[in-house]
Amino acid sequence: MGRAAYIRKRLVLMIFVLFGVTLIIFSMIHLVPGDPAFLILGERATDQKAAELRHQLGLDQSLPLQYWNFISGIFHGNFGMSLLYKQPVNSLVFRRVPVSLFLAAYAMGLSAIITLPVGLWAATHKNKISDHLIRAAFLFALTTPSFWLGILLILLFSLRLHLFPVAGYGRTFPQHLKYLFLPALTLSLQLSAVLIRNLRSGIINTLDSDFVRTARAKGLTNRTVLVGHVLRNALVSTVSIFGLQFSAVIGGTVIIETVFAIPGMGQLLFTSITARDYPVVQAITVTTATLVILVNLIVDLSYSFLDPRVTYE
Amino acid sequence: MDKDMTRDIHDAGQQAEPVRRRLNRRHFLAGAAAAAGAALLAACGGSSATNTPKPAGATSAPAAAPTAAAAGAAATAPATSGSAAAPTTAAAPTTAGASKGKTLKMARNAEPQSPFIPWQIDDNPCLFISVNMYDTLLRTTKDGLGVEPGLATKWEPTSDGLTWTFTLRDGLKFSDGTPVKGIDVKTSLDMVSKRTKSVWKDNYKAIKDIQTPDDKTVKMTLSQPHAPILAELAMFCSAILPAQLAMDSDKDGFDATIATKSKGTGAYMLNGWKKGDPLVLTRNPNYWKSTTGIDTVTIEYVADDNARILKLQGGETDIIDFVPLSQLASLGQQPNITTRAFVIQQSSFLILNNTIKPLDDKNVRQALNYALDKDALLKAVYFGQAKFMNSPIPPGTYYDKTLPGYPFNLDKAKQLMAASSVPNGFTTDFTIASGNNTAQQIATIAKDQWSKIGVTVNIQSQEASVVRTAYREGTGKLAIISSAWTNDMNDPTEIVNYEMRGGASPFAYWTRYNNPALNDKITAADLEQDPTKRAADYAEIQKIYLDDAPLVFISYPPATAGWQKYVDGFFIDGLSYYRFEDVKVNK
Repeated sequence: MGRAAYIRKRLVLMIFVLFGVTLIIFSMIHLVPGDPAFLILGERATDQKAAELRHQLGLDQSLPLQYWNFISGIFHGNFGMSLLYKQPVNSLVFRRVPVSLFLAAYAMGLSAIITLPVGLWAATHKNKISDHLIRAAFLFALTTPSFWLGILLILLFSLRLHLFPVAGYGRTFPQHLKYLFLPALTLSLQLSAVLIRNLRSGIINTLDSDFVRTARAKGLTNRTVLVGHVLRNALVSTVSIFGLQFSAVIGGTVIIETVFAIPGMGQLLFTSITARDYPVVQAITVTTATLVILVNLIVDLSYSFLDPRVTYE
Repeated sequence: MDKDMTRDIHDAGQQAEPVRRRLNRRHFLAGAAAAAGAALLAACGGSSATNTPKPAGATSAPAAAPTAAAAGAAATAPATSGSAAAPTTAAAPTTAGASKGKTLKMARNAEPQSPFIPWQIDDNPCLFISVNMYDTLLRTTKDGLGVEPGLATKWEPTSDGLTWTFTLRDGLKFSDGTPVKGIDVKTSLDMVSKRTKSVWKDNYKAIKDIQTPDDKTVKMTLSQPHAPILAELAMFCSAILPAQLAMDSDKDGFDATIATKSKGTGAYMLNGWKKGDPLVLTRNPNYWKSTTGIDTVTIEYVADDNARILKLQGGETDIIDFVPLSQLASLGQQPNITTRAFVIQQSSFLILNNTIKPLDDKNVRQALNYALDKDALLKAVYFGQAKFMNSPIPPGTYYDKTLPGYPFNLDKAKQLMAASSVPNGFTTDFTIASGNNTAQQIATIAKDQWSKIGVTVNIQSQEASVVRTAYREGTGKLAIISSAWTNDMNDPTEIVNYEMRGGASPFAYWTRYNNPALNDKITAADLEQDPTKRAADYAEIQKIYLDDAPLVFISYPPATAGWQKYVDGFFIDGLSYYRFEDVKVNK
């Protein structure tokens, strides 16, 4: 099967996966107790008022009918009205997608920048003090809760060194880069911890391979061997993990966006779940699922660039 | 009515915030007429047993009173620098002042959720903005005990108390420059009092008809005498909007984003706002009152308590709200920062289901109250910043400060238990909203202290919306729930009708407490026009309710804020509002 056919097949599969996602998220959020009408009207609302509102919002319809409305809405590109904000969900969610994507991409970019040199250094200095220090430091980053790590970084970089703002998003692209640096760094330190371990062991394994010995024997410089041969081979599994971590990064934005006051999807998701704002939760979940599936597809396709032996079936 | 819900939503996100604002809203005002009496209010607050406003107006001296109110109000609220004292300055343009051309930056804990249509607002973040955008006929005085002129400068009732006549300021304009007409006032007040989209219409049931014979006169007919009417007209939700916008907002499918381009009569305007962006208020050039306030207010929404504090410490913002009580003192010790706890009309308590055995036994409820060491709670949970809750009505109009509450008394609690239906104690669930640290701490301390009177507590932590739904439904399993209340108006009628009146939804704050004799007294107090008699009514209501102990009474928590020392004049009033027009930036 050629690459084009493979992509077509994956896209078709994606429709089924997304269908499953809608079913699961719809069932889950409606199974959770808690009545949006009370949440919207507030504590002092009377029962009669709550009943009126449920009718107005269509929450008194049967669940299959509500699900059908949700699904048919998606096919029309319309996720409905937010119960909480009384605004179209599309405008509410879709202007936040780029913010979260930007943060995720920024974090992943930073982690790539961190992982490559650090992983290479650790592998080539196996069991030396610097190797141990690197592994210990990133183990610390990995095991530290992100909201706390974020605050530590704010204390150092914002309050002590005055290099970056404490929280917010900014208005222009250069401002975004500046405002999102600390949140992206927080996410990327944790992601790098996973990647560095993987890359380090990948490189160490590859260094033992016959072809590396051959390359050295024919007189290639150490640099050429490492970058041209070892790294390219060792990266295959790291890239695959890197791609899979996209979903983890998107998940991490829920907390990070709250700590750093970034107006992205994660922050909205948090509010919407608490408020039982069904349409918004559904829209964010479907959007996120689509993004994760697409990123995974891109990762799968990237293998063949890193390793020409990979074919798609 | 009110909304509490929205507060819980934000609560869950703010792990460190000890005072949860799950309460309600604010607003109020003096009992009856408050007309001539703003100055009297302060005076009687200190001396009489109840904080009676003793407004001279209403039925006793209807004609003379109203104009005196302006001067009186100004005298008691010097910080407003004569705001109320110039009833006819109407269209006076903004004067140059110390803070002209300056920007104030604030970081708040939560974004507005409701549309910026006053009577549709049911979340605090939105109403805090709206009081700066939209003006009401009357305003609550800074001490929270009376009303002062807003858009109206004079008001007087007929001798039967059934018709009130309000006179508006000369030359009132909306922020876009169009004059305020009678039809705007009538339409707005009709919306808040009659339409189903009004979240607050239950507060305005007494209004039968509104007529505006000319653009400066409003005649309001009541279906029966209703003492709290002036307080109700000072509530944020009765603000005046252009008639067209008011009517549009009542249609189904109204796009709430239209209301972010404000056309109000308040000190500031909003020129569009998208959720997720900072909210920018600019000075309204057509504001009726001359102020020296800042020109632009930029409000950023930072949900995380620590991030907000760090932004203040880092100099990125000028004011933050919701400083956790645990950090209020230490933050205030920083050289450039001032912090303050403002007394507001807010109370915190535990809700008991009064229909479940053994909580249907008054002895048991009183025992639970006596066995809880409130002083320990005030120290451990509220860091000494909250006050002991001695009365079911929070400190505002008609609050009785002489009531004893339930001070810690273990011996008395044991005696009450011995005389109760469960002399050997009992086991109960104690449900709290997850993420609410204050409730968690209270529950933990209560569990320990109640074990000494044989009560075994199972603490259950559930998501806020689940807790809410469960106690609304009165599920038998749920017995004790931590909650709190903030007045939305400066009159006890709101809390008394919501928290104490039984028999129908909301079933006395969902306690299912129902005392028909007390219900009758509540009705009588609403009808009573004489402030002295009304004060006596509320004194009795508070006493009966306290004795019946449908709740476990805990504290009156404050509202908190912190700001840079160069900020001057920031003040949170008794209903927890603040107006940026009084704030100055001295840098």
